[in-house]
Amino acid sequence: MKDLITIGLPSKGRLKEGSINFFEKNNFKLTSNGGERNYFAQIEKLPNIKVIYLHAKEIIQRIGDGTLDMGISGLDLLRESAINLQKKIEVKKKLDFGTASVVVAIPNDWIDVQTVADLEEVSFDFRDKKNIRLRVATKYPNLTNNFLVSKGVTQYKLVPSLGATETYPFVGSSEIITDITSTGKTLKDNNLRVLKDGLILKSLACVLISKKKTKILQPFLNSLI
Amino acid sequence: MKLKNYSEKIINVFKKNGFLLSEPDVLLDSEYIIQRSGENFRKLMLTFEDDTGKSMCLRPDLTVASCIKYLKENSKATSKIFYSGQAYRRSSNPKEKIINDQLGVEIIGSKKKVADDEKVLKTILKSIDKTKIGNITIKVGDVSLFEKLIESLKIPERWKMRLKRHFWRPQYFEDLLNRFETNSDVDPMAIDLDKKKFSEMKNLDQNKEIANRRVSEILSRFDRKIKDPRSFSENKKVVKIIREFLKINCSIDKIERILKDFIKKYKLSKNVLSDLTAIKNLSKISYKTIFSPNFGRDIEYYTGMVFEIYNSSKKEIARGGRYDGLLKSLGSKKNISAVGAAINLNNLKK
Repeated sequence: MKDLITIGLPSKGRLKEGSINFFEKNNFKLTSNGGERNYFAQIEKLPNIKVIYLHAKEIIQRIGDGTLDMGISGLDLLRESAINLQKKIEVKKKLDFGTASVVVAIPNDWIDVQTVADLEEVSFDFRDKKNIRLRVATKYPNLTNNFLVSKGVTQYKLVPSLGATETYPFVGSSEIITDITSTGKTLKDNNLRVLKDGLILKSLACVLISKKKTKILQPFLNSLI
Repeated sequence: MKLKNYSEKIINVFKKNGFLLSEPDVLLDSEYIIQRSGENFRKLMLTFEDDTGKSMCLRPDLTVASCIKYLKENSKATSKIFYSGQAYRRSSNPKEKIINDQLGVEIIGSKKKVADDEKVLKTILKSIDKTKIGNITIKVGDVSLFEKLIESLKIPERWKMRLKRHFWRPQYFEDLLNRFETNSDVDPMAIDLDKKKFSEMKNLDQNKEIANRRVSEILSRFDRKIKDPRSFSENKKVVKIIREFLKINCSIDKIERILKDFIKKYKLSKNVLSDLTAIKNLSKISYKTIFSPNFGRDIEYYTGMVFEIYNSSKKEIARGGRYDGLLKSLGSKKNISAVGAAINLNNLKK
């Protein structure tokens, strides 16, 4: 009997659609016994492969803990995850969907701030003149920390956000944000502007595999990518 | 000699020199520390959530913990204290210990700066003497000299601030120097684009706040920025002066002459580096003492004299310095002068 392979695919949105299309383009048809809300699927004619639909963030966690052997998820979520988790996962292929950028965005009316170097100065103004730290709302604390510190911005405090991060500067919860954007429209509509050198990461969907399972996965990967 | 014996001998010296025992809190409010040190410090702290969800940390540093205690007690008087305890700090270097046994002294709220600097260094040296370690070397520097040098240079104000702020991060500081040397910070396009918006915003209520910044504040910084010279022809020369200054490394009794030569060579204003009282006062110490402006650049809160003491195998056994701005950043309404030093007990073992 062949080894059983467990694959995690995103359970909603553009990443789900893109993932299913990617499998179908490569002649792997996904079938499901239950209704639309069933979280399990199979690949036609490949009974040893089990597909589970999960939150994109969870796919990374589960590849890390060995529950999944491989999956599709966003590069942003992988790079944001803990280092020890990232060490267990290999990016096997970058795909052509799910493209978006993680960026630093500031209120559009801060006309004196165009670059991260300006932001660094303003953050010191907050500390020296107001005796508070510039607050950065984000869903990406790790990526944000690494980016800001590497650019010399050290005087800030993170405000964890779960959603609608764009509203934070205008309800008094933070001064600036970092967030993911594909067209920039939501940021613009919310009166925010991306810094000229404020690109933290260009993200896209990726095929991720557990490094421990490389051997078992190889025959399947040969036909998939 | 066992650590406990070292510790007893050192504490005796502290007491004889008039320092009183203080026991700073082991548990501190993480958010309070982050407010002071910035978010990046979080990864060095050992934190946990208490049962109300509040983030607490083990004291990362006994100087900071002592200052928090001083502020809590709301003392107006000079405080001359010593502590004996552990500091808990993670490091990116797996070889470094997380728990460090420290013994240290602090003088907080005194105006006799020069005498206090000497008192702290001498007390630490007498303590090390008692451990019979011998063959030690001392390195001293003075952060304020670097700041005076930067102030005296003819460079845009924005750059002065930047160089002073990032003195503490040698690697990033080097990036800054490279950028400055090649003038790669110029972006006149970005400024032109926003001149229109600038006129529009002038008509707004100047006290209106946009994400915690008043319109007047934004416009005045914009204005300053466009007036500050964007290109600068003497960058290379200035960077050379800074690099050469940071290369100085000499016996402390030669510092006056070396700085004089330095000033002459680069045609700097004569009084730039003339106030050497704090450093010269330390040359009375009868140990081999090296002056270097380019050391101890990893603790942000020092503002004046700094020193480090090494044993024969070049391990750091003590360090200290003046930190006149720390208490204000921890919430005091005014600057409170302070100087202190700590002995790292773990490195005393032979």
